Amino acid sequence: MEVQKEAQRIMTLSVWKMYHSRMQRGGLRLHRSLQLSLVMRSARDLYLSAKVEAQEPEVTLPPARSPDPCLHPPREAEAAAEAAPSDGEQPSPEPMDTQEAPRAGETPARCAQRPAKVSRKRRSCSLSDGGDAALVPSKKARLEEEEEERASSDVLDRLQPPPAQAEGAFPNLARVLQRRFSGLLNCSPAAPPTAPPACEAKPACRPADNMLNVLVRAVVAF
Amino acid sequence: MVLQPSERHYGDWNHGRLGPWCSPTGSPAPLSCETGCGEGSWILVCRLLFPTQVSLLSMEEDIDTRKINNSFLRDHSYATEADIISTVEFNHTGELLATGDKGGRVVIFQREQESKNQVHRRGEYNVYSTFQSHEPEFDYLKSLEIEEKINKIRWLPQQNAAYFLLSTNDKTVKLWKVSERDKRPEGYNLKDEEGRLRDPATITTLRVPVLRPMDLMVEATPRRVFANAHTYHINSISVNSDYETYMSADDLRINLWNFEITNQSFNIVDIKPANMEELTEVITAAEFHPHHCNTFVYSSSKGTIRLCDMRASALCDRHTKFFEEPEDPSNRSFFSEIISSISDVKFSHSGRYIMTRDYLTVKVWDLNMENRPIETYQVHDYLRSKLCSLYENDCIFDKFECVWNGSDSVIMTGSYNNFFRMFDRNTKRDVTLEASRENSKPRAILKPRKVCVGGKRRKDEISVDSLDFSKKILHTAWHPSENIIAVAATNNLYIFQDKVN
Repeated sequence: MEVQKEAQRIMTLSVWKMYHSRMQRGGLRLHRSLQLSLVMRSARDLYLSAKVEAQEPEVTLPPARSPDPCLHPPREAEAAAEAAPSDGEQPSPEPMDTQEAPRAGETPARCAQRPAKVSRKRRSCSLSDGGDAALVPSKKARLEEEEEERASSDVLDRLQPPPAQAEGAFPNLARVLQRRFSGLLNCSPAAPPTAPPACEAKPACRPADNMLNVLVRAVVAF
Repeated sequence: MVLQPSERHYGDWNHGRLGPWCSPTGSPAPLSCETGCGEGSWILVCRLLFPTQVSLLSMEEDIDTRKINNSFLRDHSYATEADIISTVEFNHTGELLATGDKGGRVVIFQREQESKNQVHRRGEYNVYSTFQSHEPEFDYLKSLEIEEKINKIRWLPQQNAAYFLLSTNDKTVKLWKVSERDKRPEGYNLKDEEGRLRDPATITTLRVPVLRPMDLMVEATPRRVFANAHTYHINSISVNSDYETYMSADDLRINLWNFEITNQSFNIVDIKPANMEELTEVITAAEFHPHHCNTFVYSSSKGTIRLCDMRASALCDRHTKFFEEPEDPSNRSFFSEIISSISDVKFSHSGRYIMTRDYLTVKVWDLNMENRPIETYQVHDYLRSKLCSLYENDCIFDKFECVWNGSDSVIMTGSYNNFFRMFDRNTKRDVTLEASRENSKPRAILKPRKVCVGGKRRKDEISVDSLDFSKKILHTAWHPSENIIAVAATNNLYIFQDKVN
């Protein structure tokens, strides 16, 4: 649980850093952005594997007791910070490996908390958990699309009629982040996670207080 | 210009005060002054505070700058971000030391000449020239500001009376000529002494202009500007041993230039994937071999080094040698990938070895052995458990540099809290020193520092939690033949020399 929270925190932090790096003089730095995305991917993997491990002992527990991992991103004390890296030092298994078919049985309980947006993508792993559907890449190294060095116009397209195209190194970044982490960062059950990257569905409207939304809107304003 | 009190208390060099430092085993080891490898005691030669002192000095005010300097040392520093030193480099003889800062300025220091009556003043560096190398620019196409920060300075070997250096920011490399002028022509016919044109009607005689001595003036002129060749940010430049070409490396490409040609460059390495979504690594540093003009290396963000031979093909995408150490699974952690990114690569003077710096270690590689380094030195391993906090405050992205001494026997690199570390490759001893204002009494002997990693903290030790991560030493330089080092600590430049010198 701590690990999950820590992973969430790091992911949120990474998003912030990516956003801020757009504001700094000299523009986006490719190397820095690559490193941030690596950390984000590791955090995501860690989050998923920790979540899977957390689910294992809960097989016998009634569904109501299983904690919603999608809590509001806790900005808690750094005490958790030190715990997580040591937890994370165990090699985190690939999420693919840990998603075994039998696990699918317990996920409906979780899905009940959230509208499980049916994934249009058939995936080999059975991680049908609604909140995580957006986190598991449909194909290898999807996260790398964050590293494109073109305008971030996609972000603008998704949210509102695009203003003038600003140069950015990571055009799809905000879009990817929205898709991937909206389920994570948004605690409200009303917001469905977006479709997996393979399909180009527009993200649904989400509540205004989503941190990522704030970020993305700020990006748009910028 | 004097940075130190004129009264020198040489009697204070009391050998009894030189305390032994701990050998790696923890037991005190006797001081060895015969090593000559720089591991003896280090003394502060001078400390320069950017920009205030530098401006004063470059105005060549000889007056009581000592008083002014001292008062500035007491006051809070006037440092702005523009004064942060971003690169330090000795020239090939060590006579000149160039620094670049975030404000795009280059300041060159010259070593004071040895004189009989003041033999101990040799080793001091005075300001020789200051000029604005790069200005902030705006890329209108991308709506991006281009920083004027000087990323690297590289000297050319001296071939005539003038000095040449390359300085680069994120996008543009410039070749500067620094020359002295100590004579000026006087007695022009058509111009008067102030340069105003004379009325031809008043000229009744002709005279031949003569050269008269004048106060030494050092002028810097940009001789070449190599622009518009890099899409990404330039991280390295390296002068080839043929002295006719040099290379500039950005995140994805390396270009080869001829000094005479500014409108063309050859692309010799291109690791940009066809689909940027597949990008997994970037180039972080590159350097030419010191003797073989066809060989160069470049390091990557994945902790690998590639050696390329330009004779093999025009585009050196396929490496000749590939240096990578298998990852130690016990060290694997959440941030493993980013701390393995190499921030600096340097050939040894002999050309036999390369040294790489990643976030926590310095490694020495033998060019003949690709599968692992021959030596690994822990710079600040106590940070391994703090990586998460360092990620939060962005320190984990700091790019430290590393340098060899002239004989390739000692390597040096920086750390936090204004600490810098030296490793003797022969004796396997290391020392941690601090470049700080508190210890900046001139000619003060640097006391070795020690970081306490846990358990009981001894009297002189510093605990990891009290380290100041805003004080980082990223840039250092070692004189090519003597034990003189230059250490840049934010906006301060420290010059130390070996006491036995």
